[in-house]
Parts: sequence; structure tokens; C-alpha cells
Amino acid sequence: MFKTNALGKAVRQKDGRPRVTGEAKFYADVILPNMLQTRILRSPYPAADIVSIDTSEAEALEGVRLVMTYKNFPKAFRDTLYYVGDLVAAVIADDATIAEEARELIKVEYTRKKFVLSLEEAIKPGSPQVFDGVENCHDWEFHYTMSDRDPETRLFKTKTQTEYNAFGDIEKGFAEADVIVEQKDIKYAYCKSPAMEPRGCTANFDGNKLNVYTHSQGLHDEKLCLAQALGIDARMLNYISPYTGSSFGGKNAFPLDRNIASHYLMIAGLATLELKKPVHCGYSREEEMLCGWSRGTIGDVKIGFKKDGTLTTMDFFHWQEAGSGGDKYPPKNAILATGSVLYSRNCEHQRSRIRYVHTNRFCCGGWQGYGVPEGTYAVETTMDIAAEQMGMDPVEIRKMNCMRAGDVDSGWDPLSYKSCYISSSGIRDCLDAGAKHVDWKNKWQHPSKKTDRVRSGMGVAIFAMAAGRPGPGNSSEAMVKIYPDGSAALVSAIADIGQGQHTVQTQIVADVLNIPYEKVGIVCHDTDSTPFATLVAGSCATWIQGWATYGAAMDAKRQILDLAADKLNVPADELTMDEHGIHVTDDKDKQITFSDAFGVRGHYGGTHEVIGYHVHNSPHSSGHKDGKKDEIYIPKEKGAQFITLDVDTETGIISNVHVIMAQNVGKALNPKIVEGQLLGSRHGVENALLANDCIVDKRNGWLMTPNWVDYRHTTALDCDVTPLVIEKPGDPSHPLGATACGEGAACPTLAAFSNALFNAIGVRILETPFTPEKILTALGKIQARGRKK
Amino acid sequence: MTRDEQLTRLIRLTVNGKTHSLPVEPHWTLSKVLRNDCGHTGPKEACDEGACGACTVLINGVATPSCMVLAVEQEGKDIETIEGLSRDGKTHPIQEAWLEEYGAQCGFCSPGMIMTTKELLTKNPNPTTDEIKEALGGNICICSNYEHIINAVRSAARKMAKEQTNV
Repeated sequence: MFKTNALGKAVRQKDGRPRVTGEAKFYADVILPNMLQTRILRSPYPAADIVSIDTSEAEALEGVRLVMTYKNFPKAFRDTLYYVGDLVAAVIADDATIAEEARELIKVEYTRKKFVLSLEEAIKPGSPQVFDGVENCHDWEFHYTMSDRDPETRLFKTKTQTEYNAFGDIEKGFAEADVIVEQKDIKYAYCKSPAMEPRGCTANFDGNKLNVYTHSQGLHDEKLCLAQALGIDARMLNYISPYTGSSFGGKNAFPLDRNIASHYLMIAGLATLELKKPVHCGYSREEEMLCGWSRGTIGDVKIGFKKDGTLTTMDFFHWQEAGSGGDKYPPKNAILATGSVLYSRNCEHQRSRIRYVHTNRFCCGGWQGYGVPEGTYAVETTMDIAAEQMGMDPVEIRKMNCMRAGDVDSGWDPLSYKSCYISSSGIRDCLDAGAKHVDWKNKWQHPSKKTDRVRSGMGVAIFAMAAGRPGPGNSSEAMVKIYPDGSAALVSAIADIGQGQHTVQTQIVADVLNIPYEKVGIVCHDTDSTPFATLVAGSCATWIQGWATYGAAMDAKRQILDLAADKLNVPADELTMDEHGIHVTDDKDKQITFSDAFGVRGHYGGTHEVIGYHVHNSPHSSGHKDGKKDEIYIPKEKGAQFITLDVDTETGIISNVHVIMAQNVGKALNPKIVEGQLLGSRHGVENALLANDCIVDKRNGWLMTPNWVDYRHTTALDCDVTPLVIEKPGDPSHPLGATACGEGAACPTLAAFSNALFNAIGVRILETPFTPEKILTALGKIQARGRKK
Repeated sequence: MTRDEQLTRLIRLTVNGKTHSLPVEPHWTLSKVLRNDCGHTGPKEACDEGACGACTVLINGVATPSCMVLAVEQEGKDIETIEGLSRDGKTHPIQEAWLEEYGAQCGFCSPGMIMTTKELLTKNPNPTTDEIKEALGGNICICSNYEHIINAVRSAARKMAKEQTNV
């Protein structure tokens, strides 16, 4: 190990200056000479076929360069439409006004088809099929039953494909339970992934290759997929993304999947290849709302307990609305909230059935929490109902049953592993810290004791989020360069989407090399100049890329010490490197400058930079328990959240929302960045409080909230968040003892909010968002609006 | 006359102390003209309806979403963008405070948030937390970094007060 200097400190953001001066060039800030503009014609119908399309008038308009439809660009467009906002055509013109005028001139004849717009309807037998001949409702295809548990290791030795993800015997579990608590129809409204910078790109052919300026969470894989989708060699494509204006997973690009909204890449890419001129294709906020990633679920939970509150059995049914296509994996991550992971401590019998359901709405994808918030909302709401029914303290029932370090995880990655060990937890410490902060012991009151018009509530929820993606196939790479002047640079494609990776990774380099943080630069601009880096998703970058950066810095250091060893005639392992150069560890006077270590160099030759390189492949050997390859530690993002709020029982208005987010991060490599990540709890508050629901007109499928006025995000006025960073050392799976911290903060928020609301008013509302109307209806103050069942 | 000649009108726009003479169409917003024609891409376009504040600039000292005003109406007014804040390569105390307090995560909202802060601190050099929240109420930070941002505004107020004392 090495001495930490930059690590653990709130050093300044590595690329902070351009972000606060306006110098940072996000993709849309790259305005090229003679750049053409795009406008997209989108489907007005939730389900339709294009019978005919006439683009002749549009093409005839002066300034129009290209009109793209399924006829001339079948790679990007199709003649069947699956949601309002689906792609019909695109106009490329000299400016946006001309493109808009031309778009109006495209004549399309549609055949309208039957459609289905809600999860509940889509599940019903006989509902219109989103994809002809394909059932709307699908089981997740990798359900396994785990069995044959090793009495010594407690790991499962056998997995069998079944229609559930399960272990134990669910029937026996409930038969033997003293208390059974069941809650059905816990509904998470269809919500939209947040991102400040709208999706888009600018493509430019420079005579040799296609340069695509965009935003990205994983440059290299997106580049290869885009090259394949465009039908060009990878050598022909440079993918450029120095900055990303936030993305919580929702802006991941999948150019090979026509159901996922990365159409800007295909439109601009194909048009540029055709016209050999720069083409900008950016989405408006309305387009973002019409086609961006969403999520929404319904969950049924049944839990069996012993009299003392020990959780022994859990049954979990989960339906996720997947819209018209999308990513099938988020729903399965809801399993992390069950007895397979979060409540693995005492759970002996678990069954989870995960289904994804197509509707004629924009697609669902993985974003902030990647399926975990939905599962956590259902399970943690039911746990609160259980605490209420059993007369137990909601904090205590969780402390008693939550996962601890070394418990068995049988839910995260049944594809790669049957089961594995949880590398660290600390949830109980987080519960203690949060409870202390809100003075839970003295201030928590049963709702029956609250009679004032304005009633305060206090709620809690815990979570475990998969983090680190330890399975085979997950890897990242880094180069670390040391220059003769003693400065260094990390060369890496690891995306900084606001989560601070450029800062944290360069902190690692600084400390491995034992040089000041200010002496380390970063090269993270495009795919041409960097090696592959993992997709920053699942809050894995500190973990997977951290290993790669650490390894590359160690490699660079080894090389510079070798150079110095030659010159000083001392073995490399007796040398130490610092900001002044390299010296003999036991004799500081015997030293050499970096420049002298590099030796003579000039135009014609010599060593000009030392390049360290490392590929980190998961699983890393340090994740093997006692060196055994089949006994693996898997890290988690985990913690506890408390919410306090006030409810006016006459107006149904919620105010004074305060979130206390406690997370055990093992080691906070940059405390301010970690705190900043915990503030992300607000995304859950948005979905709970601000009427965030992609409300659709049932008659025609139109989105009624296609903007940020009707679909609101939190401002500084809406709630306060207090981050509590817990550093419990000992996670063996990272070189610096750090575990993930990122998207987890929003995972428990809906449940904590729902529980706080119940604690205030004594009535349980099971459907987000928690609007004044729902609150007043629950309180019996107004009549429920008539709804067709 | 060509279509362009019929539609465009020549205006003089003063941005960060420099006057630009520009042909603009009557429906062009100030944010579009600043970004496309004046080279000031600091103000960001994120919602196009004044709901997020990412495009905020100062117009005669008043923080205004530049996507909500027309460029043709800004003649004779003094417009300041984020690029006008740092002078001769030296960052403004508000920007320094942002760097110290980690006010920017992704940084997409920062140019607008910082300009709103400038108006606030010019008019109210020592704001309370509630006053800060109210002033920033029209600026969304989707990274949800508000606690850091509020700390940055407080710190900026202290820095600017110190600068005043030192003058």
C-alpha cells in the first residue's frame, strides 16, 4: 500500500474550471461552419403502419439537403410505429427553420392500429399486442432456482432454470411463519429518466473519418455499435465526448437497438456519410420527454416472519412496464431488495418472479438504480406495513434482518454466479446514524397519536444496489503517462457525467505516484486518444476503473523506478518516487531528477514519456475469498434513508421534506464528491412528491406532460438533503477499500417517503406520485374520481 | 429580395462589453443568437421554455432565461454571459466559490446558476439561506447538488464582501 495524500481529501474537481467558466464544450457547443440542422417527424399515433409517405414537396424546398425515411434509410427508419413520438422521417436542411418548414410538407398516410397504454391493461389476456404475434408480458429469461447449499460455505452449488428466482421452499416457509404480511399492487408511476443536457450529436466527415461529437457514459462500446449500425469500419469512426451534461443511465446509446432512443446517432451519422457535411441532430425537451427512457412497475410482496420479527420467507412478484422495447435487465434488479440480497441475513425461503410488459409507450431502460428503486419501493413499503402490524420499531425490524458483510447474495448475478458473498454492508451503522440525526427514538410517534391539521411524519427505508459488476466480461483499461518534467497524465475513456470520476481517478494516480494532485492531468476526449473504459453504470467506475487506474499507475511507477535504478545503480525496489524525482529510500541525498532518469532525448530519439498500462478484468483476484476462485466477494452500494415531512390534512399538500441519506462507502476517496452523490436522493423525491408521472391521454396515446413545467424536477426550494457519509473499513474488493457510491441514493427514497407519509396521516397510499388528490382521497376528505376498471 | 433578406434585420447587441452587429430573424431567441452568432456557448439550452434556468444571462443586471426573450428586443441593453465573468483569465469569486464547494457536478447548469447568483449578490450581498433558495428557485440542477450550490453562494458572498473591503 502507499501513503494517501490526495485521496480522502476534498481536492478540487479535476476539470472543474471549464465547467464554471463556460469554457467546457458539451456536444451542442461544437458549432461547425456550414453545419446542417435536423428536424424529426414523429409518430402522432401510439400504434400505426405507414401506408405511404410523400417527401417530394419537402425535398423541393430550397435549403433542404436530405429527407430520410424507411424507404431510403431502412437502417434507421421503419414503416411500423410503436409509440407516440416514434420515428417517421427526418429532414436535414441548411437551418432549423427550413427543416421545420419542410417537415410540415411531408405527407404521410397511416393505418392506425389498436394500442395499449398501461401496464395493467397490457397484462390482461387479449389486450392489443405491441409487437404483432408477441405476447406483451414476458418472464425474465434467466430465472434460476438455487439449491444444494454447502453447509460450510453457505453458497449454493446448483442452479436450475425455473420460472422463478428462488431458494428454499416458499410453501414451507409460509406454513412455518408466525406472521404473514402481504401487500399487493404497489405502483410506481411511469417516470422519465432525468438529464439536463438533451440527447443529441453532431457528426462531421473530415475527409478521412466520421467524427461524432456527443455525450456518453461509455465511449468505446457506443462507437463500435455505431460503426456496426452505420455499416462502416471502426477505424472510420471517432467518438468524441469530453463532457456529458448529466446522465443517470438514461442517455446510454444503443444504436443497434431500434427501439431505444439513440436515433440521433443514426440520423446524423447516415446523413453525414451521405452529404459529407456536418450534421447536427439534437432533441428538444419535448422530444426528450417523448422518447427518453422511462420506468414504472407494479409489485406484490408477501413476507413471513417469526414472532420476534425475524424475516424467514419472502415472495415477490414484479411487473415492469417496458414500453415498446427497451432494456430487459432492470426489472431483475428488483430482486436485490428481497431475501436474495437486502434481507439475506435470515431469509431461508425466497421466490421472485420478474416480468416485463410491453406497452405502446416510449421504452423503459436502466437508469438511476437500474431496477432497484422499483423493487425497494415495494419491499420496503411492505416491511413498514409489517412493522406496523407487528408493533415493531421500523428501524429495529430492519436492523434485525438486513444483510451484513459475508452474507450470501443469490440475486445479483445468477448468470455468472450461483451465489457469492456480500463484501461489506454497514446498513445497521447507517440506520443508527440516520436515526440519531433525526432523533428517531424521541421523535417517532405512532400515527394514531397525531390529530393536528398539519401532521409530521418520519419514515425509513434501506437499500442494496448492485455495484461493481464483478462478473466476467466486465473490464476497464487505463494508461498513465509520466513526463520528464515530473508531471503525469491519466489517459482513460472513463466518462465523468457529473459523478466526479475524472477527479477521483486522478487522485488515485497522484497517490500511487506520490506526486501532488495538481501535477496529474487527464486525457479523456475521444475514442481515438484513449483505451477502452467500462460503461459508467451501476456506479461501478470507482471500482472497475479504479482497479485499472491503480494498475496503470503502478506500472508507470515501476518503469520510472527501473529507469532511475539504471542511472543510480541501485535496485528499483530500494527507490522511492516523489514530486522532486526518485531517491534511495534510505538515503534522500542520493537522488535523481525525473529529467535525468529519462536520460538524453531530443527530436531524434530518447525516452519522452513512460507509459504504464493496465487492463482490469473482473473478477479481480482480491475479490476471491481466501484465494478461492469459486468463492467471490461482490460489492454493493448500500445504506439507509430517513425522510421527515409535514402533511396538511385539509389541502393534502406536503411540505418541509427533509431527506437524510446515510451510506457506507468504505472509504470516501473524495468526501465532497461522495456527499454530492448522496444528494441525488432528490430524484426519488421528484417521483414521490412532484406529480411526476408520464400521464397519457387514453384516447390517443399523447403524452400530457411533455415538458418541465408539467413534469417538474426539484429545485432548491422543494426539499433539503443531509448526506451522512459512513466509512466502515474492511471491504476486501477494492485496492483502497472504497465501495460504490452513486445512483444508490435514489433507491430507497420512494419507500422512505411513502413510509413517512403513512407515519403522518395513518393511511397507506400505494401509488406514486403522492399527490394532494390521493392524500385527500385516502383521508376521506374528497371522493375518489370515477375510474373505469 | 431573397428569403433571408426579407426576414433578417440587422441589430447591435452588446455582450460582455463588446458590441456585435448581427443579422437576426425576428423569432430568434437571445440564447440562440448568443450561442450561434456571438460564440458564447456558455448559456445552455435545456428546456426552451424558461423552466430550467440553464440559459440564464444578465440583461441590464437582471437574471433572465435567454431562451425566453427575443434577440431583436435586446438592442441597447447590456448583456452579460458566464464568459464575461472571468476577466483576463482570472476566475470571479463566485466561480472560485463554486470550485471550492464543488458547486458543479456535470456543470451543465453552472453557467446559469452562477449568473443568477451574480444578480442575487449584487442586490443582496448577504443573503439568508431562504433568500438564496428563492433566488435559485428558477434554476434546476438535475445532479441535485443544491446543498453544495447553496454553500457556494454563501462562500461567494463572503469572498465578494472581502474584496469590497480590500478595495
